[in-house]
Amino acid sequence: MYEIGKREFINLFKSFKSITIVVLILTASFYSAKFSRLFEGEAKDFNGTDIQYLGLLVLIVLFGTIFIMSLSHDTISREIHERTIRFLVTKTSRASIILGKFFGILLFWVICLFTSFILIGIFTQRIDWFIFFQTMSSLTFQIALTILVSVLVPKPMVTMFLGTLIGILFPILGFWLMTTERVWAVWIKYITPFYYLEQPNFSFLVIFLFSAILLLIASFILNRRDC
Amino acid sequence: MKAIETKQLRKSYGKTEIVKGISLTVEQGEIFGFLGRNGAGKSTFINMLTGIIHPTSGSFSLLGMEGGDNMAKKYIGVMPDYANLYGSLTAMAHLKYFSALSGKPAAKAVCMEVLQQVGLDEHYNKKTAKFSFGMKKKLGIAQAIIHDPELVFLDEPTSGLDAESVLHIQRLIRDLQKRGKTIFMTSHNLNEVEKLCTRIAILKEGRIVQSGSMDELRAAFRSTINVNIKHSPIPASQQESLHQWLEEAGSNLELNDGEITITVESEQKISEMIRAFQQCRVEIYRVHVKEPSLEDIFLEL
Ligand SMILES: Nc1ncnc2c1ncn2[C@@H]1O[C@H](COP(=O)(O)OP(=O)(O)O)[C@@H](O)[C@H]1O
Ligand SMILES: [Mg+2]
Repeated sequence: MYEIGKREFINLFKSFKSITIVVLILTASFYSAKFSRLFEGEAKDFNGTDIQYLGLLVLIVLFGTIFIMSLSHDTISREIHERTIRFLVTKTSRASIILGKFFGILLFWVICLFTSFILIGIFTQRIDWFIFFQTMSSLTFQIALTILVSVLVPKPMVTMFLGTLIGILFPILGFWLMTTERVWAVWIKYITPFYYLEQPNFSFLVIFLFSAILLLIASFILNRRDC
Repeated sequence: MKAIETKQLRKSYGKTEIVKGISLTVEQGEIFGFLGRNGAGKSTFINMLTGIIHPTSGSFSLLGMEGGDNMAKKYIGVMPDYANLYGSLTAMAHLKYFSALSGKPAAKAVCMEVLQQVGLDEHYNKKTAKFSFGMKKKLGIAQAIIHDPELVFLDEPTSGLDAESVLHIQRLIRDLQKRGKTIFMTSHNLNEVEKLCTRIAILKEGRIVQSGSMDELRAAFRSTINVNIKHSPIPASQQESLHQWLEEAGSNLELNDGEITITVESEQKISEMIRAFQQCRVEIYRVHVKEPSLEDIFLEL
């Protein structure tokens, strides 16, 4: 598991695409921090939190899925397609392939998010750890979802398409759930992460549980699959 | 403890059954050859044992561990029939990664030694995207033995290699056995299996049609000993009776001037035949006995 995670992590850092996205997020945090300083007093204290951190949370919730999907949609599907997975499954358990991939990708994003928060913290002299973990929960869910897609569909071309589609539709779904009054939509609300992210309490911890369930499903599917 | 034990192992894709109930046992220290034509189901069978695909039914154990037990993976090495490598990694990086995955990270010196064993040491620092088919195959073998496993699965280890490399790999397989390892290999090359393997199973359309040591396989097919005898002219008076005797002694009789070819069922018949010739005052110049090669056995099935 550790070796697979390490390789996944290093690969992400080596890729041009991922560096572009990191730079994009860091730039966004830099400017949101700088911008918020101009409006000091006014911009601060939105629901008791710093608006610039909230901006990062919104950025991740809205675009995180498509960022992560675009970088990692093929994390397992490519291995299955190229049959390199045969070298992995003959050496380690399928569950540890899933977990290795998950933690490798997660570590990359933790570092990326952490850097963003530090960057904003330098400007505002304060770090909002609550929003940090809220954002982390969203990232965790999105990574688990990406891995599930990558296991479900063993063709990299299809996972790319599906990943992009989900990346666009998922935040739209979230937005619609937030605003809709329809009764039948309520239960969907409770099984998607958006509802829990809106709450100003620790209910976002539920999202980590959801992520674990997604990973369990992915592991179950890979376990049954012939490679 | 058996190296491999399978019980009624089956695999179907949809309605087609590819492996039709295979039960076999491989002792430790053997080089077991799994022989069959393309499409016989060799890879399907080996892939079930190595955890790449799941059996439809049946059970197996490796080194005393229940099939599918992840613990067993530490002690087995696998070269699958088909798998790409990571094009952006060097040969050395592959071995480091894979050995670590197996839970036995290999030092650079150990990786070099294994690369040398397969004949890739000169290319240790080359990315595998630039590897030829043969080089990839050799790295496939290297990664199967990098963690010093007890049981090694090699799916057609020499097919597609040049003659020199074939000998190289065959020597490597023998060396592994000398070090007490068990090797389970598939092949469609009869000579190779004949030369290398302590025991053989012949697979046809998903079933084992024959198995045993080379000698046992030959014994089972003794019915086809081919005898060719060169002899002095047969006296006219004896011709009739000798011909009749030969007709009854065997089959596929061919009579030429001073030479006969006949297929008999046992070695006993050969000595009887020689006696019959001598009684007719025919001198024998040469007896050529052709035992069935594995190829003959194989083709007969
Ligand atoms: N995933 C699969 N789906 C359907 N048929 C398959 C699959 N894999 C192998 N087969 C079929 O099983 C048969 C045996 O294949 P294989 O085990 O690779 O043979 P061998 O290794 O002896 O050449 C072939 O007819 C092949 O087409
Ligand atoms: Mg094959």
